[in-house]
Amino acid sequence: MASDDTLPTLKVLLIGPSGAGKSALLTRYCDDEFDPETSAATIGIDFKIKVLNVRGKPYRLTLFDTAGQERFRTLSTSFYRGAHGVLLVYDISTRASFLSMEKWFNEAEANTVEGVALYLANAREVTTEEGQALAEAHGAKFCEASAKTRENVRLAFVDIVDRIVQTPGLIQNARLGRAAGAVALGNGGSSGSGGGDGYGAYLSGGCSC
Amino acid sequence: MESLADTLWDVVICGTGLQQSLLALALSRSDKKVLHIDPNDFYGGAEAAFSLQEVESWVEKVETGKEGLFEAASVKKLGGDTGLSFPRAYSLALAPQLIHARSTLLSQLVSSRAYRQVEFLAVGSFSIFKPSPDSSQKPTLVRIPSTREDVFSTTAISAKAKRGLMKFLKFVLDYDITPQTDTWQPHADAPLTEFLLKEFKMDQELQTYIITLTLSLDGKINTRDGLAVIHRHLSSMGMYGPGFAALYPKWGGLSEIAQVSCRAGAVGGAVYMLGTGVKTMNDKDDPIVIELSSGDTIKTRKVVRANESATDRFGINRLVAVVGSSLKSLFESTVEGAPKPAVAIVAFPAGSLSTATGEASTSPVYLSVHSSDTGECPANQSVLYFTTGSEHASQDLLQQALDSFPAALSGDTVPQCLYKLQYKQLQSSAHSQANGSIFDFAPPASALAFDDSILQSVQDAWKMVLGDEAVEEEYLTFADREGAMDDDESV
Repeated sequence: MASDDTLPTLKVLLIGPSGAGKSALLTRYCDDEFDPETSAATIGIDFKIKVLNVRGKPYRLTLFDTAGQERFRTLSTSFYRGAHGVLLVYDISTRASFLSMEKWFNEAEANTVEGVALYLANAREVTTEEGQALAEAHGAKFCEASAKTRENVRLAFVDIVDRIVQTPGLIQNARLGRAAGAVALGNGGSSGSGGGDGYGAYLSGGCSC
Repeated sequence: MESLADTLWDVVICGTGLQQSLLALALSRSDKKVLHIDPNDFYGGAEAAFSLQEVESWVEKVETGKEGLFEAASVKKLGGDTGLSFPRAYSLALAPQLIHARSTLLSQLVSSRAYRQVEFLAVGSFSIFKPSPDSSQKPTLVRIPSTREDVFSTTAISAKAKRGLMKFLKFVLDYDITPQTDTWQPHADAPLTEFLLKEFKMDQELQTYIITLTLSLDGKINTRDGLAVIHRHLSSMGMYGPGFAALYPKWGGLSEIAQVSCRAGAVGGAVYMLGTGVKTMNDKDDPIVIELSSGDTIKTRKVVRANESATDRFGINRLVAVVGSSLKSLFESTVEGAPKPAVAIVAFPAGSLSTATGEASTSPVYLSVHSSDTGECPANQSVLYFTTGSEHASQDLLQQALDSFPAALSGDTVPQCLYKLQYKQLQSSAHSQANGSIFDFAPPASALAFDDSILQSVQDAWKMVLGDEAVEEEYLTFADREGAMDDDESV
């Protein structure tokens, strides 16, 4: 792949309760790895980068994990800035995890701007109807993904990027990147920060079990 | 997941103001077990930035005396809800500080890679408010010439004054070597204005220009400090691009840097709890035992916290106003190739305003105007941050500044004031200090420009936490975290 700095950058967040399998999903998608032994909180991963072609166009996807700040619900407003997409992840086998999703939806909606595209999953203790209903209530799409079996992992990321690039205005903001008056420090690197005025949110049932 | 009580923490950091947050960033690659808590349910402490909703609950807290460093807070929506956007469209900074390009804070953010998550904007012109000489004329804004090119091209001052100003600018560039030091050192503790008069024969107007560049809250800055600040300003000019000397972080200034630093701490494994303070602390034992307000009892080797008791009641007054205009004329780049500024500074010198009772102002009032590019308000609005040193009736003075300012703008539309927040921020002369296993940060300074001296305190706290493991050369110098780029196939 040629220099990736020229590609439109999309910022996608993975949020949801502790232990939902956000990192498992991320590692499976980016590195195609799954380690059933790692249940410890994620340390050392700021974000991962993946280049993804959707509808014949390459995009630089920056995927941000919560870095443990979901544990006591201390995600900062700055974490949400410029996000084009939010992937809401819950543990497929825990009903409490699913029930907390309403709060996560609210937080995502409060900290980003209007213009949502969502998606939702079926789960063992959660009926398809319930998942579908929550998704529809937030205008979300829905899928059930398993980091263990790879099922639907890629679909989740592809779908959210597709949703972002299909939302009028959103991709244009991604191309504009930083504000017109922005000043570059250091080597002028600008990774991780898109300039989106809208975002696509996405809900996915994750499973690290 | 480990429980809070089962872990022996290396350090508990209390508060998420800039100093504590930078400490979290500094420790983020250290493998130390860090618990970072804040009794507030928001990040940033006295440097926080708020949505309108958050402003309201903060004002309530101040009024019940639960925000030690603040008092006399009030908020007012003018003209009902029309004009204002939704509460989250705003991010009002409690203590907006500009950061000079030469500040060590910027180089530390670069070397620690934290800068990648912060967007910096240019601070544009510094101007002086000149009241109308009589009722038939409008007041005006005069831009302060602060580069050689500016001085050459300005029409605001006489040829003689230009020569004096040029001589002074040249002097300041090398002020800290001989023979310049011989000139100013005898006057080091005297007011800068006296020095400017004595050595450069500057008239009061030129003195005002220079004092404004120092952003001295009482206008009485001494020669030593004043020259240092002007030198910082001049040597910062052009460093990150033509036409500007200082930067401002988008979305609420230092609050953003605090949040990004805390995120870096979390990525490094620190555990974060907001709305959680220290209820009781037994520091006689080793490890220190702390009962948190959440009910958890934890053990830690070290504690870093902020001394928020303002012992001397000296404070500054602030007024934050949202106005329904983009105030375009203030944000024009004056130099070719310069980025569009998002912040403009206006000084109302002592004597340029008078209170309702007709008394002339004895301290300057500073106004920092932020365009919607700062992300602090929606498009077609601006945020005006007024500050003055505390004195009798100074909130009245800030109101006068707010009322007088629009008439000085070129263009005819008088911006409507939509929202007003007023408060007093208290100061303390306390210094940062280590006491055994406990480190206390001094309360944050309320200066209008970021002062590098707090960075030394952060490094001292870092040294206390790491002890023998501290390697000074590696302080805040980290490699990028991001993983290798992966390619996904086409869809």
